[in-house]
Amino acid sequence: MTKYVLRRFLHALISVVIVVAIVMLMIYSMLDRKLIFANDPMYTKMSNNQQVVYKYRKWQDYGYVYYFTYADYLSGLMQSGEIDEETYKKAATIARKADKDSDLFKEYAAKFEQYCAENGYTTQRLDAIVNRNKIASGGQPQYFAYKDRPLWQRLVNYFTGIIKVDNIHAVKEDVGERGLTFTLHDPVYGGKKFSPAIIGNGTKNKYLLYCDNEFPFIHQNLVSINLGVSYSINQGIEITTTMTKSQGSYVLREITYPTGLTELSADDLHSAVYQPGSRELNVVAAERFTDDYTSVQTVKSGLSKMGYSFTIGIIATLLAYLLAIPLGIWMALKKEKLVDRIGTAYIVFIMAVPSVAYILIFKAIGAMTGLPTTFDIESKSKLMFILPIVSLALPSIAGLMRWLRRFMIDQMNSDYVKFARSGGLSEGEIFTKHIFKNAAIPIIHGIPGSLLGALTGAFITERVYVVPGIGGLLINAIGAYDNGVIVGVTLFYGVLSVVSMILGDVLMAMVDPRINFTSKAR
Amino acid sequence: MENELFDLEKYGLSNEELFSRVDHSETESEKITAPRYSYWKSVFRVFFRNKVNIILLCVLLIVLLLTYVYPSLINYDPYANLMDGTAKHLTPSAAFARFGRSIHWILGSGGSGEPTFDAVWYGARISLTLALICAGINMTIGVLLGAVWGFSKRLDMIMNEVVNIIGNIPYTLLISVLVLVLSPSFWTMVFALTVTGWLFIAYFIRTQVIIIRDRDYNLASRCLGTPITRIATKNILPFMTSVIVTQIAIEIPSYISYEVFLAYIGMGIKDMSLGRIIGAAQSAMLTPGWGYEFWSPVLVSAVLTIVLYVVGQNLGDASDPRTHM
Repeated sequence: MTKYVLRRFLHALISVVIVVAIVMLMIYSMLDRKLIFANDPMYTKMSNNQQVVYKYRKWQDYGYVYYFTYADYLSGLMQSGEIDEETYKKAATIARKADKDSDLFKEYAAKFEQYCAENGYTTQRLDAIVNRNKIASGGQPQYFAYKDRPLWQRLVNYFTGIIKVDNIHAVKEDVGERGLTFTLHDPVYGGKKFSPAIIGNGTKNKYLLYCDNEFPFIHQNLVSINLGVSYSINQGIEITTTMTKSQGSYVLREITYPTGLTELSADDLHSAVYQPGSRELNVVAAERFTDDYTSVQTVKSGLSKMGYSFTIGIIATLLAYLLAIPLGIWMALKKEKLVDRIGTAYIVFIMAVPSVAYILIFKAIGAMTGLPTTFDIESKSKLMFILPIVSLALPSIAGLMRWLRRFMIDQMNSDYVKFARSGGLSEGEIFTKHIFKNAAIPIIHGIPGSLLGALTGAFITERVYVVPGIGGLLINAIGAYDNGVIVGVTLFYGVLSVVSMILGDVLMAMVDPRINFTSKAR
Repeated sequence: MENELFDLEKYGLSNEELFSRVDHSETESEKITAPRYSYWKSVFRVFFRNKVNIILLCVLLIVLLLTYVYPSLINYDPYANLMDGTAKHLTPSAAFARFGRSIHWILGSGGSGEPTFDAVWYGARISLTLALICAGINMTIGVLLGAVWGFSKRLDMIMNEVVNIIGNIPYTLLISVLVLVLSPSFWTMVFALTVTGWLFIAYFIRTQVIIIRDRDYNLASRCLGTPITRIATKNILPFMTSVIVTQIAIEIPSYISYEVFLAYIGMGIKDMSLGRIIGAAQSAMLTPGWGYEFWSPVLVSAVLTIVLYVVGQNLGDASDPRTHM
């Protein structure tokens, strides 16, 4: 069984990789690149050459091209010590037009051209745009090189960058003695309370392992999953952070910083990340921290996007199973009677009416009962959860009821049930030990899927009730052409879906001893 | 018939109590005694036996007339009253007072002064046409390919992987990329909904074929040397008719539903389909007096999909030969 599951999992991972490749092909190669500027106010503000350069720079950020300027090339030469600063300054000056170039510029431009040709870059020189002898706005001459990023390279880069393990050589700058320290008394709690922690120097995160009073009590920063970086949805923030970072207002509490300064703050010192030179640049950081691990996250009162979606989704799923199973059984027992007819009418309603329409109908009915119809992070009231949960549970109840009724009725007519009855078993016994057990197997197959599915959120419900959940992430990303988020979320969905398929099969095989995935088919 | 061989009276028996010989007749032996059975006649006999179906068919007929005939009879211009500020967001009674009593205004007017009743049926025509075309294409390809898929083991291996992969590509993403690459037109939407849609129908049919494929009568048929194509067309496809009809009943409403969803998230087509109308009138839902604008398209889409679904389901039930007794 383990071997089978492992093989299935490996197969599934390969299909997920292919899915990501197809999605990358679709969004990077099929879509027009200029679309990303459709809602970009910066782009429309710029003009002339500046706009062209901005375009390429953005394309590099979004992962379309590799791009660097002539000045970047020269500063690279300067850093490697090939040229001094004075030569750099002179050589970097681009004349208004090619025929006015200085000899020094020509010399280095030729080198630049040669370097680009060797590495497959295309160079482009934009002459100054002159308006009445003055350079027009954004019309400075530009000189740069770019190269399209091939799909396979992007794919390899993406998958090799997904799992990051923090190590003591992660920080390039000089940080003194690199190493890990294990302490039993976490300095964040004043160094007196017993709380084990592993603190690193030279690592990206300061705290690699620490304890606090929040579930699951022991936390780690050693291994992190990086699904990619968002560009427009949540600029520069990793997708995993976007999904799991808490929202709402700051939770202020008394904090003692490493320097001994105590104040009311929402900073979470355990999340400290290395920020090179931050104490020199920032007085606030210098006053509080004794090293350059100064970039901290804040503690907020609400749940994360995923937290809200999961809370609503998981309660709705549990509610759906708890209600749908007895109802489906009831319908099957009273086949063709009133209960069955009402149930069928409801199922038809959910199956046929567009989901947008019935959720809005639920909202309208909910509003009549006086329940809050919009979600508010700041509110402490638990009532606002009711309508989203009900709106999510009601349709899935219909789906479950429909299948359970079908399976039950199929089992009721089967020969072994007739045989059991003729053998003199009581109806109750036949029902619980024969019919229900068999009818429940296909339903059980879907349980892992619906539980894990709660992590992906529900788009329409969340939008209708203004829940700050995760359901809209993909659709918002598509709307904003945020390629990083699209790829990351696709991968996340893909992994969830294949894992729930495998878990469903495993669960089914555990419940039903007749099902065996390891033996060969006839 | 007189018995000449024995004198039965002698044994105390009457003539009726004994078997007697019947002459062999060539013409009589060719006659089949089973009652005449026509499949489709029986389907409709069973279908019309249920009086509810007749009512539903009447409703469907009215809805179809309103969807396809009504819009072509009237001269509908959504922007006719665009510049008229007093014509917007009217309740039916206000619209009657403003424009006079006519069928156009029984549901009031919308955000650009258009008669809601006309707008809704225009939208329904677009949505229903889209659904019918998509269901037609997907069902044809899906059923044909699914039948082959169920029989061929090699194809099964390849196609299962394809389903694993295509099934994991977010459908919304696929559709929005296609809509962005091409244009948000009607035929783009048809293409987007059918480019991978057939795959899932084919998968469903394949599973059904596999269930029936190895049944004993098919095994017997194969032992007798019946070619696979004839088994597929004569043994399996008739068995699948009810499954296919039921599937169509699910498919058509699902395309309308999906079109509404896409319009709601702003990725729909540019024509004012039902989905677009619902999406555009969302804000009108809770605004007092504007309710008609929102609830009419919702109601029409609900009626359209429910009627199609129930008629399809009942037709599916009727097309199962086991109900023909």
